[in-house]
Amino acid sequence: MAFGVLVVVWTLLPLYNMVMVALESHGDVFTDAIWPPHPSFASFWIVVTEGYWYLEFFWHQFGNSLYVGAAVTILTLLIGSLASFSIGRMRIRYGWLVSNAALLTYVIPASFLAIPFYRIMQNYGLANNLWSVIFAEVTFATPYGIFIFSQYGRSIPIELDESARIDGASPIQIYFHIYLPMMAPALVAVGTYALLLAWNEYLYQFLLLSSKRSMTVPVALAQFLNSDEAPWNYMMATAIVYALPPLAIYYAFRGRMTAGLTMGGVKG
Amino acid sequence: MNTLGRRSVLRASLGLATGAALARPYIANAAAKTATVWWVQGFAQEEDVAFRQLVAEYEKASANTIDYSVVPYAPLRQKIVSAITSGSVPDLIPSTPAEAYVLFAWDDKLVDVSDVVATQKHEYSETALLSASCYNRIEKTRSYYGIPFTSASLPNHIWRPLVEKAGFKMEDIPKTWDAYYDFFKDVQKKLRAQGERKVYGLGLQVTTNGNDPNNVFNYFLIAYGGVGIVTKDGRLHLDDPQVRDAAIKAMTYPTTAYKDGFVPPGAVNWNDADDNNAFHARQIVMDLDGTISTEVAIIKDREDYDNIVTMGLPLSNDGKPVPAQVANGIAMIPKGAKNPDVAKDFLKYLIQPQVSNDYLKAGLGRNIPAMPSIAKNDPWWSADPHRKAYVEQGLLGPTVPEFFVYNPAYAQARNEHVWSVGWNDIMQGGMTPQAAAEKAFKRVEEIFAKYPIVQS
Amino acid sequence: MASASVIGFSSPAVARRIAPWRYLQGGLKGSEYNWAIAFLVPYVAVFLTFVVYPAFYGLWMGSDPSLYTELFSDPIYQSTVVNTLLFIGIAVNLKMFCALLMSGFFMRRGWWVKALLMIYVLPWAVPALPTFISIHWMLNGEWGLLNNAIYQIFNVDGPSWLNSRWFALGSAIYSHIWKWMPFWTVILLAGRMAIPQELYDAAKVDGASGWRQFVHINFPLLANLYLICTLLSTIFTLGDFNSVFFISGGGPANSTHVLATLGIRDAFDLAKPRLGVAAVMSALPLMIPVVIVLMRKLRTAEVQL
Repeated sequence: MAFGVLVVVWTLLPLYNMVMVALESHGDVFTDAIWPPHPSFASFWIVVTEGYWYLEFFWHQFGNSLYVGAAVTILTLLIGSLASFSIGRMRIRYGWLVSNAALLTYVIPASFLAIPFYRIMQNYGLANNLWSVIFAEVTFATPYGIFIFSQYGRSIPIELDESARIDGASPIQIYFHIYLPMMAPALVAVGTYALLLAWNEYLYQFLLLSSKRSMTVPVALAQFLNSDEAPWNYMMATAIVYALPPLAIYYAFRGRMTAGLTMGGVKG
Repeated sequence: MNTLGRRSVLRASLGLATGAALARPYIANAAAKTATVWWVQGFAQEEDVAFRQLVAEYEKASANTIDYSVVPYAPLRQKIVSAITSGSVPDLIPSTPAEAYVLFAWDDKLVDVSDVVATQKHEYSETALLSASCYNRIEKTRSYYGIPFTSASLPNHIWRPLVEKAGFKMEDIPKTWDAYYDFFKDVQKKLRAQGERKVYGLGLQVTTNGNDPNNVFNYFLIAYGGVGIVTKDGRLHLDDPQVRDAAIKAMTYPTTAYKDGFVPPGAVNWNDADDNNAFHARQIVMDLDGTISTEVAIIKDREDYDNIVTMGLPLSNDGKPVPAQVANGIAMIPKGAKNPDVAKDFLKYLIQPQVSNDYLKAGLGRNIPAMPSIAKNDPWWSADPHRKAYVEQGLLGPTVPEFFVYNPAYAQARNEHVWSVGWNDIMQGGMTPQAAAEKAFKRVEEIFAKYPIVQS
Repeated sequence: MASASVIGFSSPAVARRIAPWRYLQGGLKGSEYNWAIAFLVPYVAVFLTFVVYPAFYGLWMGSDPSLYTELFSDPIYQSTVVNTLLFIGIAVNLKMFCALLMSGFFMRRGWWVKALLMIYVLPWAVPALPTFISIHWMLNGEWGLLNNAIYQIFNVDGPSWLNSRWFALGSAIYSHIWKWMPFWTVILLAGRMAIPQELYDAAKVDGASGWRQFVHINFPLLANLYLICTLLSTIFTLGDFNSVFFISGGGPANSTHVLATLGIRDAFDLAKPRLGVAAVMSALPLMIPVVIVLMRKLRTAEVQL
């Protein structure tokens, strides 16, 4: 029980600091207090009503983040599961080459790829376009997805595919009617991972998006670092509001998510 | 949006509209074209609004269009490097950070803008003209590669209430350099005696993060007589005994103050905003920090705004005025830009004194002009005591440009924080100021060796 | 140890049917082959366009040998490498070990354990930028939450967490562990849950208690997963820029830089992107062996029980 308390304190300490700053007024932010001296929800109100200059387009940018998150999730699931199906179920020759190559994506740290990416997006005409960010995130999320799908897929007997094949099903039918339904927990797990990756990523969003209307919330948060004198309480309030959707999604799907990461499935 | 915001927006629009009407006749280009401009986001909303207005007025006057984005500082900095490296560049960018343009000019990555400078050459301060001139190693010559449109320097910011609480008056502050800063040590002692556990007299940024430490070091260096460290021909003069002496003193004073407990211990790893945070929290009595953003940030809190005193620099220890080192905000046109003519046209429009004046005033005067006549002719610049002191220091008084305009090597030394590392060697590494200075000198010399300037 | 497959196949009839499919492994017939290719095309396209092309461009950027001379002559390069090795070595192992322990903890039953897990996952779910800035403030020696709390509870001044190289590096490691431990805990938890209950029941019947259960059941089955996760985590941690940048800024006096932050600093602060690429590439001698081992493990490993 005491251990539980320790876990809570460990986890929540920095988050408590965030909430505390969000509840304080500007002048109180850097004082001795460990409780907010005059707590108020004013900062949250400012965020929600776009009442501050940096937050002028907050809801529009929030919408951009949602758009990016949804697109990345869907594309990662689609591309990853198709590739995994081809490699793992249909056992295409040299399939292992592709899945290993995918892992190479992670060898190269994202910060290294940033400038080349920028150049390439310019070449493809995607500068300042949300799709440049979407492609970047999909690139980084998919290999992990392929990894999870292939691990999870091992627990689904190949005989199911075979019987369907012998019954005359085409690969696409097998994919839709057998593979996807059985992979549901893994899909949830990878989908959540992809969503969180896209939601919290910012290096590429900084670099690739420049105008207020195309920005996502992480870039909006970067504005607060623009000056030495930002209203930190608004920044933390913005961050907290922004963090709520992925939390809600994780909460809704947490059961499936653990199941999806389970390699081999649990019976009973 | 608050009323102050709306009012300033209104003021800005009226100002720019009038300015545009009264501006000298502006000759538009025959063929209307579009230029892509990335601009840096201001510290206050009014600055962005002012820019928007400026663009609108220009488009009306010239029939060209400006396709602009206002980008926050840190992402803009990364975008600029990425753009120039990859070759896909916009038409006009502000030098972000301040020294970027000398490094790009060195590598022949910028378009020569001498023709733009020529239109207002007589208006610019000498320092601004020096700032705009950079050395191009491919062409092996100096030319104008940037257009100055603002100035910035470091005033002293002081909390009057804290000084008075210690039993002093602002008039008691000594006039010469060392005595001036020693004064705040006394303030701290008196405040501590009254039970203020957490207050520190000197907010010197003895950290290795950000630009503040570089500026503070330079100011101390100049005050102790080291202004000749880099001369107009780009040569380094560390062999000059006066410069060496000044550098060692600039290494000594802040670190001794730190070791004696007059600077917050956390200063050793402050990031860019931490000194401002400390000042606003009244943890430090004074802050030597660039521009008057410290005051402008709390302009809505009238009482606190009035409680901060903005002061120029004290005299040197032998009673002579110390020139303030000024960094100019520079706009540059990268090579490979698709519409450099439109960009140049826009710049010519911007640097007309009347237009410039309105643009900067709409931005609450956080940035001051690069042309002395603007400040002299418009009483607005002396109306507010903070602004008045800042303008006196950064524009009208004796000024020198940044050392990196003479030789980009100094920009690299800044970015490597060579001098701040030296401070750290003394504060935490136990070195003597002499030894730390020698180590820093060595590294600076190594860096300068990589930037040979052929004297033509 | 017998591998327990989820559904046992013993009937020869089914075995006969398996054989032809396996025989065709790698030699899919006709239209099926086309389907297989078609399914693979989207990912391969993404990979070529967004990984291969930028990677080659990046490699080209970092290919000039003189960059490496310049890199090695940077006064802070050596300490940066040391920091990187320490950071990776401590952060990864401590994090994975604690994740292993925590995953054991979260196997317990009870609604409060589930509630705790929900809270526990927060660091991973909340965006890094504001949380790390919050930690930076929290650790401030003079007005940070941590030292305020220490003063209120113990009436002593806490140390300056960000002022010395070792404290600052430790703070960065702490932040990294704080953020990523939940993620790996969930993965290891899933691994544990994959262990069939029958094994535990059988062990209990044989009289094995907690510790022996761990040694004989958990450990062998989790070992492979643990190793793979450690290797993956090593790779991710090498690229972890946020933890160091926002917490210590690389300071004091550039003493806590790691290769990731050094690369960004060279690229953007010194406006020398090629030097930044070189900084990150200089980690390849460490990375390549790790990746090779990882790939081998993944290819042959039956992570499934």
